[in-house]
This record gives sequence, structure tokens and C-alpha cells, in this order.
Amino acid sequence: MQRETRIANVVLGALSALSLLLLSLPLSTPVRSLKAGAGYLLDPLAYRGEAGYRRLAGLPERTRRLLEADIDNESLRAELRRMEWLATTVSALSTENERLRGALALQPPAGRSPAWARVMERDPIHWYRSLVVDAGLDRGISLNDPVLGPRAGRLVAVGRVVDVRPNTSTVLLLTDELSAAAAYLSSGTLEGLVQGQDGPRLRMNYLNAEAVLSEGDSVYTSPTSATFPPDILIGRVVRVNPRDPFLTFQSVEISPAADASSLQELMILRARPPEAR
Amino acid sequence: MIAFLRAVALFVGAMLLQWWWNTHLAYWGAAPQFLLALTILIAARRGAVPGMLAGFGWGLYLDVARAELFGASALILTLAAYFIGVARRQIDLRANGPLAATTFLFTWAGFMGLGLLGLIFTKSFEWCGWVAALLTPFLNVAAVSVAALFWDARGER
Repeated sequence: MQRETRIANVVLGALSALSLLLLSLPLSTPVRSLKAGAGYLLDPLAYRGEAGYRRLAGLPERTRRLLEADIDNESLRAELRRMEWLATTVSALSTENERLRGALALQPPAGRSPAWARVMERDPIHWYRSLVVDAGLDRGISLNDPVLGPRAGRLVAVGRVVDVRPNTSTVLLLTDELSAAAAYLSSGTLEGLVQGQDGPRLRMNYLNAEAVLSEGDSVYTSPTSATFPPDILIGRVVRVNPRDPFLTFQSVEISPAADASSLQELMILRARPPEAR
Repeated sequence: MIAFLRAVALFVGAMLLQWWWNTHLAYWGAAPQFLLALTILIAARRGAVPGMLAGFGWGLYLDVARAELFGASALILTLAAYFIGVARRQIDLRANGPLAATTFLFTWAGFMGLGLLGLIFTKSFEWCGWVAALLTPFLNVAAVSVAALFWDARGER
């Protein structure tokens, strides 16, 4: 106990003397240096402490923001799903609008009425030949009815009905080699016969041998066509074939306006509406 | 080694706690003097020398933040630890009652000591204000009681 007391007295004396020295000589260089050194050692405590405190103090606010962001995220996801559905609806309406505008622009010939049908089936190998639609005798479809398709807001020639079943029909496309339709070129009154080639192109034959032909001309159905109403777009001239000295006519290659591989919906111009049957 | 690291953690942690409370939780100038309370507790439990060493270090920390009287808090905490070390031979400072009463008295003694040191070295009595002077002793008693409970709970009597 005595030893402890002695040590305590010595420590007290030393620390008290040091404290009094610091108090007595506040402006002396050693004391200022000691204070600066102590500040250098201890100031980071408050500095780092404040930084940590601010970080911790901001935690509830950041958590609240995180929760709000999560709620917003859920809400936006729901909104996004709704917008996707809306976009799909708009797309469908747009397609329908295009179809209806095309239908309005069309002047069906007397005695014919339009019927829309969806493409049910197409031959994956022979896209240029035929396809099957979901309208048949039940919808008043009959053999050789002309078939049109929507393209850029208008109706273009696609083909004709060659087989009619109770609920479905087969459409022979213009690109099939058995197809043919009377047509004329937009640059003049030159008429010819558009024939399928069993490929992506059509061929227009029997054009006047003396006529000057040019690429880019549009080809329309002729009023003399036995199948199609007049002035329906068939396609555009993409190549003028060289003249054959042994033939008395010229021919051109035509790119069809209707893309057989992407047709989804077709208009069939019925000779007789179902009510009339 | 573990004891040394624990002592360093206590030393730094106490300063952090004092800084944090003074900066963010003090009202009307009243805040518990954790460093004084811990100095008293260490001196009461471990003896005068550890208390004086800790008190002197914590006092320097308090003095660094002060524009004048550099060394005053160090002297006051050193003296507090010494007198507690002496008193513990006469009083059972391990009991909560005597410890609280001693803390209460030494808080006031600390205020008076700081005032007198100001009077001696800067010719002005350093007065903390009545609100702080009346509330701080109670806060210090609460602080030392909580620290003693925590100490006892760790089984370090």
C-alpha cells in the first residue's frame, strides 16, 4: 500500500507539475508545440467521428429513399406492363386502321363485296405458290374470287381463290407460274400479261415491241382483267428484258407489291355475299 | 496484449462518446462528463495511478479544444483521480451509493477548480452557467452508475 501511495504521489507530482507548466506558459514554444502535437493526434478523432456520424445519420434517410425507390420500381414495373399491353393494343389497332383505310380506298366492282380472312397456312418451301385462308363457303367465298392484301395503307393484288372448302380456301398467288393477270404500266397505256415465275419476281409479257420501257414503272391490274378489279397495284418494274429479235413483244421483270412471306390478312372480293347464297 | 488493446479502445471510445454527446446531444450546455465519470470509476476500481494517467490523457483531449487554459482539464482530472484513489481506502467506492455521491461532489469540485484556474491564469472565473452546473452532476452520476453496472456485468470487480 505504501509503495502504491508513493507511486501515486510521484505520478501526481509529475502530472500536476506538467499541467501547471502548461497553464503557466501557454505562449511558450514548447507548450504551443505540445498543444499542436496533441491537436494533431486528437483532432482526427472528431473529424473522423463527424464523418462517420454523418454517414450513420444519413442511413435512415437512405433506407427510406431505398424503400421509396423500391416502391416506385414496383409501380413502374406495373406501369411498364400496362404500357406494353397498350403498345400491343395500339399496334393491333394500327394494323386494323391500315386495313380499314385500305378497304375504304377500294371501290369494289359492282356485285362484289369484301371479306377479310386470315392466313392459316403457307407452304414453307413454296411461299410463292399458294396459301390457305380461314374463309370458305361459310363466308361466301367462291372460285376465282380475287384476293388483295394490305401494303403501306393500300390494297395490292395477291392472287385468286382456286379451291374452296367449307371453312377454308386456297389462294393461288400471282407469283405461282400458273397465275396470270391482265395489267398495264403506269407510264402509258401499254397492256400486257403478268405471269408468275415460281419465285419472288413476276414477268409481264406481250408489251408492244416498239414501246420505250423503263424501270420503276408501277404495274396495275387492267380493266380487261377477268379476275381483278381495275387499277389494283401489282408491283413495280425492276428490269426491262433485252429485246428478242425473234419475238414480236417485249417483257419486263416485276417486283410484286405484296410480300407473300409476310401476309397475315387478306381481303377476298366475293362474287356473292353469304346472304345471297 | 488484449488488456492493453482494451485499454486503448476504452481510452479512444470514451473520447469519441464525449465528443459525440457534446456535439449532437447537449442541450443548454448540459451534457454528461463521461471522461470525468470514467476517471473517477477507474480510480475507484483500479487505483489512483491508472486513473491519473487516463485522466491526464483525457484532460489533454478536452484542453485541445479549448482556446485558453491548456492543461486545466488535465490537472483537474489528475487531481480527481488522485483524491478518489486516496478516498477509496476510507470509503467503499465499489458500492453505487458512495460512488454516486463522490461523483456528484467531484463534478462540483471540477467546476470550481476550473473556475479558480481561470481566475489564476486568465484573471476571469471560468463559469459554465447555472443550467450546466445544476444538471451536469446528475448526468455524471447517471453516467458513472451505468459505467459501473457495465463494469460489474463484465465481472471485473
